[in-house]
Amino acid sequence: MIVHILNGLVYGGLLYIVAVGLVLVFGLRQVPNFAHGSLFMLGAYIGLSTLMVSNFWLGMLVGALVLAFLGGLLDRFVFRPLQDEDHVVTMLVTFGILLVVGDLVQTVWGKDFRSMPTPPILSGTVELFGRMFPTYRLMVILVAAIVALGLTLWLRYSRIGLFVRASSADPQTTAAQGVDTDSVSMIVVAVGTALAGVSGMIAGPLLVLSPSMGSFILMESFIVVVVGGLGSFSGAFVAALLIGQINNFSVVYLPWMSTMIPFLLMVVVLIWRPTGLAGGRA
Amino acid sequence: MTELAVTNTELHDGIPSTLVTRGLLAITPIGLCAGVVLSHLVSSNLLLSLMTQAVIGAILSTGVGVLYRQNGVVSFGHAAFYGSAAYIVGLATRHGVASIEATIILALVLPTLAAFLLGLVIVRVPGTAFAMLTIAIGQALFEFANKARDITGGDEGFRIEFPATIFGTPTSVFQKPGTMFLLCWAVLVLILCALHVFSRSPFGRLTVAIRENQERAQFIGYTTLIPRAMTYALSALIGAVAGVLAMLYNGFVSPDSLHVSVSSDALIMAVIGGLKFVWGPAAGAVVFFFVKEIAGDVTEHWPAILGIIVIVTSLWLRGGLAGALTSAAGFLRHRLSGTEP
Repeated sequence: MIVHILNGLVYGGLLYIVAVGLVLVFGLRQVPNFAHGSLFMLGAYIGLSTLMVSNFWLGMLVGALVLAFLGGLLDRFVFRPLQDEDHVVTMLVTFGILLVVGDLVQTVWGKDFRSMPTPPILSGTVELFGRMFPTYRLMVILVAAIVALGLTLWLRYSRIGLFVRASSADPQTTAAQGVDTDSVSMIVVAVGTALAGVSGMIAGPLLVLSPSMGSFILMESFIVVVVGGLGSFSGAFVAALLIGQINNFSVVYLPWMSTMIPFLLMVVVLIWRPTGLAGGRA
Repeated sequence: MTELAVTNTELHDGIPSTLVTRGLLAITPIGLCAGVVLSHLVSSNLLLSLMTQAVIGAILSTGVGVLYRQNGVVSFGHAAFYGSAAYIVGLATRHGVASIEATIILALVLPTLAAFLLGLVIVRVPGTAFAMLTIAIGQALFEFANKARDITGGDEGFRIEFPATIFGTPTSVFQKPGTMFLLCWAVLVLILCALHVFSRSPFGRLTVAIRENQERAQFIGYTTLIPRAMTYALSALIGAVAGVLAMLYNGFVSPDSLHVSVSSDALIMAVIGGLKFVWGPAAGAVVFFFVKEIAGDVTEHWPAILGIIVIVTSLWLRGGLAGALTSAAGFLRHRLSGTEP
């Protein structure tokens, strides 16, 4: 039982790091970044290649930096020029990027499944509540907690954070107050994509690396974003943990239904609260 | 968005609606005849088969297109209706539940009804987030079909054993490219004409009004939830029609028919062809299938090519192919009549 809960926390934590990157971009730009899943995948593969020549932690750093740079480009050349257009256009462009990045990854790293070794320091197990639990999985929970804490502090106490929160709550009023979203948006989008890279690297030793790993996580995190309440950070946190637990228990007890359950949860939440758990802007 | 509203309402303003109807009465037989001519001109079975698939794809992407035209939202999950229609016929036939005719009707009614009920929930979600929901719906069904082996037969899918006749027509008619192409073509032409009429009907205009400004439509006194859900159901119905045709033609159903790539291909076709025109998605589908056929032989980077096409079309060719053709035609007409465009 306790192991199931911990495993649920591991998956929920991972989902949170992926989904919160989406939330950052969605809050500021009101566009679901379809490329997010493929950036997650790109982070994992870049990390894998770096890991081959050095170590896991450098892999994570390189992945995050490359992805942050790509995020900056994405903001400068996609989100900013298209901000006054119909958001559907921006969304379609990010979808096009998803296809291109997916093909790129397949060309560079091949179609085969690749596995990423667990860093040696974390390859053991620790005893928790009388059960053995892999150290690496514990680290995933820890990283998710650090990301959650770091983001919360950043969003609550920095000026950029204030702008992001204001913009997520009401983009029009925020702009009318004289907040220039452009000035903060490049940093925010870069942080969002860097988180995609970090989560890809963290997921590496847990999942298998394949050119299709991005689409699965993208859909799960879409559900997290919707259930949590569009653009809500605390909502995404709660939703990710909830779906992590539900997912894990349904895999154990209701395997044939397991993939339907997050979706059903989403429908139930939407009937109950059309704006998601956090229930912000309608 | 405003540009869209203008084309929608002003295009035929000034022309009496009876004339539009009369024009439609003329175009429909021409469209149907074109299909007959096409199927006689082409003798290669391979090409006819490709054309049949393209037309089925055209019907599916027309379903995606109508949702954008009338509701202003994009569906990334139309495979849900396409695939589940095919599964309903397949499973009902397999277990001998009812006659094939009844199951086909059921396969059209059930997804439409499901979409309406689902629509009541999900159309309340604003704009782009709707796309996230549709993709989740599609994926949930795909995984279900994959995992629930006892019900669906799992990832391998299964062949469907048809009776000798369906609706009094020999089953072979549905499975030969020559005759099936004609049937699908006729269905497509009728759907396009029906949508043309629909978009000019009071109800069609109401959905456009809601799309442009839901709050104002509410202030005028309209309920906005039901029309939006009904449009979603309509687009689902069109997707289900495509699914039934594909299933009749292939005689086979597998989770691939529910895969997200079916949904995204349908959307890509619609984007290429032009989401703002009734016939745009269908035109996009035809181009899509032929380019894919050619490009598939030359390069394995088909996804990247598609991605670039989607980006380029979204950025610089908003009206898609249909938009480009329409403005080219307008330009030519003005040139020939000697007036300034």
